[in-house]
Amino acid sequence: MHPISYLQGAILGALQGIAEPFPISSLGHGVVYPRLLGWNIHQNDDYFLAFLVATHVATAAVLLFMFLDDWKRIVRGLGRSLQAREIAPDDSDARLGWLLVVGTIPAGTIGLLLEHPLRSLFASSASAAAFLIVNGVLLLAFERLRRRPPRPGDYLGDSDARIAKLTWRQAFGVGTAQAAALIPGISRSGITMGSGLLFGLSNEDAARYSFLLATPIIGAAGVLKIPDLLGSAGNGVRGPALLGALCAALTTYVAVKFLLRFFQTNTLTPLGIYCIAFGVFCTLVFAL
Amino acid sequence: MTKNRKLIPWAIAAGVVLIVIAIIYWAEPAGSLPSFFPGHDAGSSHHHFKHGILAFILGVGCFIFAWFQTGPSSRAPAGS
Repeated sequence: MHPISYLQGAILGALQGIAEPFPISSLGHGVVYPRLLGWNIHQNDDYFLAFLVATHVATAAVLLFMFLDDWKRIVRGLGRSLQAREIAPDDSDARLGWLLVVGTIPAGTIGLLLEHPLRSLFASSASAAAFLIVNGVLLLAFERLRRRPPRPGDYLGDSDARIAKLTWRQAFGVGTAQAAALIPGISRSGITMGSGLLFGLSNEDAARYSFLLATPIIGAAGVLKIPDLLGSAGNGVRGPALLGALCAALTTYVAVKFLLRFFQTNTLTPLGIYCIAFGVFCTLVFAL
Repeated sequence: MTKNRKLIPWAIAAGVVLIVIAIIYWAEPAGSLPSFFPGHDAGSSHHHFKHGILAFILGVGCFIFAWFQTGPSSRAPAGS
């Protein structure tokens, strides 16, 4: 018997694909949904971690595919700057590339060192529900404290050039702040989008920056754990994991397309309200 | 990016140290790591492969930083 059924795999995969780009914490939803649905699946079970590898790799692959042209330009920019031993002031591709590197290194470092202890400490669905409320409050606070209000036509023009105006310190700060997302319930994309707003980006630019920053982190985390899926922990879950990965790929694509349009005219506020409402709902259900 | 050539030897030294640390992580099990290394676990035969990757990436990062410091000083954008 499979520890995760195909139906559960499809639902969890689809959920991961939606919740990863949305600033609502995929990990938090992955923890609370099995309990809400009465499934005997726990986030620290080896087979569930193996299952998540597949969905994360699928999510990262879709993000890479969707922004492939951007990544090609960014990699060429990185090459140009290495060759010249400097980042030309007008080379926004190179600067964006190095900003992503500077943002990825602290997130990867803290993630590798603290992922296991934090996951163990905040493993319960009740704590995930509580942190979903915290995440919602954070999203509302980011909108309240943003450097400038949204303006019509914010999304027009060269988004990458605007993102590339972030400073090195800001990029490092965003990368470090992402570590909070190791706690189930706190959203990585929420932290990066919110930080972008605090640093003067528009909602759409902040979302785009978040998606670009997500690709190497999620991809590397997934690829490094592929041995878990292929090893004994993956026994019995590879089929559901494959189906879950396909569902995650599909929903990630739809979610990213939707969010890039959504943030042209909307803010984080409705998503913050959703997190608070869903977190309160889960807390009440788990307490009864 | 501000250039500071005094940082070059320090960045290279840090890069070398980090790459040595990466090799130690890859070569030695957790039980044989120096006790001040993150991941040291007496008696464990587990290899901290990912810690090694992290140290290696940080080492390469130090070399890249040093490489940029050897470049020409910043210039203004064309036309400005």
